[in-house]
Amino acid sequence: MIRITGGKVYDPANGIDGEVKDICIDDNGRIVESIDGGRTIDATGMIVFPGGVDVHTHVAGGAINFARAMTPEDHRRTQAFIRTKTRRSGLGGMAPTTFATGYLYAGMGFTTVNEAAVPVLSARHTHEELADIPIVDKASLTLMANNEIMLDQMQAGEYERAKNVVAWYIWAAKSYGVKAVNPGGVAAWKWGEDAKQLTSPIEGYSNLTPGKIVTQLAQICDDLKLPHPMHLHCNNLGAPGNVSTTIDTLKHLEGHRAHIAHSQYHAYGGDDWDSICSQTGQLAEYFNTHPHITTDAGAVLFGDTVTITADGPWQHLLYKLTGRKWGNLDVENETGCGIVPYTYRPSNLVNAVQWASGLELLLLIKNPWQVFLSTDHPNGGCFWRYPEIIKLLMCADFRKECLEQLPDKIKGKILLPEIDREYTLYEIATSMSAGPAKALGLTKKGSLGVGCDADVVIYEEDPTDIARTFAHPRYVLKAGEVVIEEGDIREAPDGQEFLVKPHMAADTDEFMQPRFEDCYTMQFENYPVELERIERKDLQELPAE
Amino acid sequence: MGGKVTCTLGEVKQRADFIVYWGGNPAECHPRHFTKYTIMQKSRFLPRGRKDRTMVLVDIRETKSAKAADTFLQVKPGKDFELITILRAMIKDQRVTDAQIEDTGMTREVLDKLVDQMKNCKFGCMFFGMGLSMTRGKHMNSAALLTLAAELNAFTKFVAMPMRGHGNVTGADVIMRWQTGYPFGITFNRGYPRYNPGEFSTVDVLVRGDCDAAFIIGADPGATMPQPAIDHLKRIPTICLDPHITHTSKLARVHITTAPQGIAAPGTAYRMDELPLPLKPALKSPYPTDEEVVRRINEELQKKPFWMPEGAPLTMTAHG
Repeated sequence: MIRITGGKVYDPANGIDGEVKDICIDDNGRIVESIDGGRTIDATGMIVFPGGVDVHTHVAGGAINFARAMTPEDHRRTQAFIRTKTRRSGLGGMAPTTFATGYLYAGMGFTTVNEAAVPVLSARHTHEELADIPIVDKASLTLMANNEIMLDQMQAGEYERAKNVVAWYIWAAKSYGVKAVNPGGVAAWKWGEDAKQLTSPIEGYSNLTPGKIVTQLAQICDDLKLPHPMHLHCNNLGAPGNVSTTIDTLKHLEGHRAHIAHSQYHAYGGDDWDSICSQTGQLAEYFNTHPHITTDAGAVLFGDTVTITADGPWQHLLYKLTGRKWGNLDVENETGCGIVPYTYRPSNLVNAVQWASGLELLLLIKNPWQVFLSTDHPNGGCFWRYPEIIKLLMCADFRKECLEQLPDKIKGKILLPEIDREYTLYEIATSMSAGPAKALGLTKKGSLGVGCDADVVIYEEDPTDIARTFAHPRYVLKAGEVVIEEGDIREAPDGQEFLVKPHMAADTDEFMQPRFEDCYTMQFENYPVELERIERKDLQELPAE
Repeated sequence: MGGKVTCTLGEVKQRADFIVYWGGNPAECHPRHFTKYTIMQKSRFLPRGRKDRTMVLVDIRETKSAKAADTFLQVKPGKDFELITILRAMIKDQRVTDAQIEDTGMTREVLDKLVDQMKNCKFGCMFFGMGLSMTRGKHMNSAALLTLAAELNAFTKFVAMPMRGHGNVTGADVIMRWQTGYPFGITFNRGYPRYNPGEFSTVDVLVRGDCDAAFIIGADPGATMPQPAIDHLKRIPTICLDPHITHTSKLARVHITTAPQGIAAPGTAYRMDELPLPLKPALKSPYPTDEEVVRRINEELQKKPFWMPEGAPLTMTAHG
């Protein structure tokens, strides 16, 4: 039992904005009304947040592990974790190792992460890695928008079949929801093509368009009653002028729930790399008038990183642009993945536009329940740099300083210099905890209400440097256990995994088997991840319609 | 140069109309590769199977695999890197002299045809074996071939993949990468992982005599490593976990018989394309699994004093 006393509490899920109040935690790791006895943590003068929730990150599985293999030069220069009694060894950096990932997330007060891209074929691998990420709780999303068995059903107009196929795959992967990446584009990439227009048929299909996939998959996620709506990486990522594709995609989603991933990469105007400019005003306006759609920023920070995405054709382009290493992994029937190390430079016009666009979206979308802190780790920057973004959001003066390092030709191409808004602590708590937890449908996360998981962060305000405040919490509690204290990792308990079991037609196995055997190279019986392989799970069975 | 452009084997089965094996002999070393994944399979995109696919074999000698190939190209020993570099130049229409081509054992006519096939196929795949990656040039050869595959994507879809060996070597790679960041050649002697193949690889550590104990699992270095490495294994306490009597178990101080993976022990094996496959044991073994032996050793080690003294620094930046 723990009582946190004297701290200023920021708990947007319960409308608490800086009120000094006690937080009580029982022996089951839940927040309760009151306790009798136990330890007291004196948080007088400190601020108390619900644990951070990362709605979109890439921390486990074939793609990030490919990135680790490709970047030994970064491991060599990065932060090393020495093995101690409570902690295993590992490396931080652009693509941290699994143990280090848990320590780094918890070390800055994040207690729940969503691995946003899992091919079902290698889901067994992803779960093995997730089990090796300590402290934090985890959810994972299945890559669906280029699955050929599903696309065939959509092409044939068999909506119910397509829905059962999606449900079957979610359960086979033991995942929490659906991720859609460049719908149709990754399937086309298997022939070296892409899909940039929502209304043009996809390479290899007669009448199926990305637009139809987007609409139907969103409907499927709604009909399956998934706690998290379709998590969409739109077509035409990264390209100048792509804001029109993004707006068009959003229009295809009218009437559905949806989460738009890393919208910074989808908010550009211009015709080419010289004329590229920010069009975040248009995009933010759409979000401001459509409150049921959420997004995460996918903000960019200057410096070295490694980009990883299921968007294979985009990564081929990035390789051609940079001439750096290129990793590509096409996954049979399901999806693809590409990896290219990248350095964002303030002197580079395109990078400068990207940097500004991410912050603009966070500042121009008025409701922090709609736009969440993310860098699409590691694509826009590493997750352990989130405190830098918080500082940029909270200090307009600091933003102005940073704007000075951008090239002169940036003038007129970005909106950031005209924005004065500064995030309050309440808004930060919304954007990095309460909001993403709500969007993910994790009812016991992102809240300090009675009955919720006691994931609590206590920061000691450093008035001279907000980034430092958020980078080094004084205490972090995970499920009521003190995991970080005075900057040290005290305990590294294992987190749990969130899974859903969607309802599907009884004959779905029989329907899948012949189609599966036609295109896969493993046994049908061996394909689904066995439930008993996931040791600590929070399984939610979803009702039929 | 760097990276890897690849796919899972199901993509090859479904789509690859042009297949190159380089420095490998799948007919004898991976006998089901042709039938399960590459040249014999029919698919929705290649309905006539073998007739819709072209296969080229590049090797220094005519192995049994040559019979399965449409074209066999005999490269001069030690000239793989040169030949790959010539191909990289030729796909970009850069000048290559006849003398340079002849030096690799090829003719211009043969290479013109090969380049034409590579550029005009719909989905090309190159598999490379130890005849490329473990001969003169070693990892430079692999890097050159991977780069050739990447560069061919300017013209068509092209991928490459190594033909990995037995003993779940891919699985070991995958797990070392997520736990340490590196696939092999790792030392923990400063308390965190550092990587330097050629320095920290098992064979180098043994040849230099740097280690004072050896723990061997899922491998038989006594049969494959150079004599100085084997001599050191004999000198130090060597512990070997293996279901069988092997060269290593014979020289080991301790041999613990374990249940064979996949037959009597469950787990996960990673296929050469890094696809995780569950192992479901068909038999019961009277012996413990590798996992159980390691767990029990670990439990005993926990009882010993911790290696690092109290109060030592907990994090540091790695400077070499």
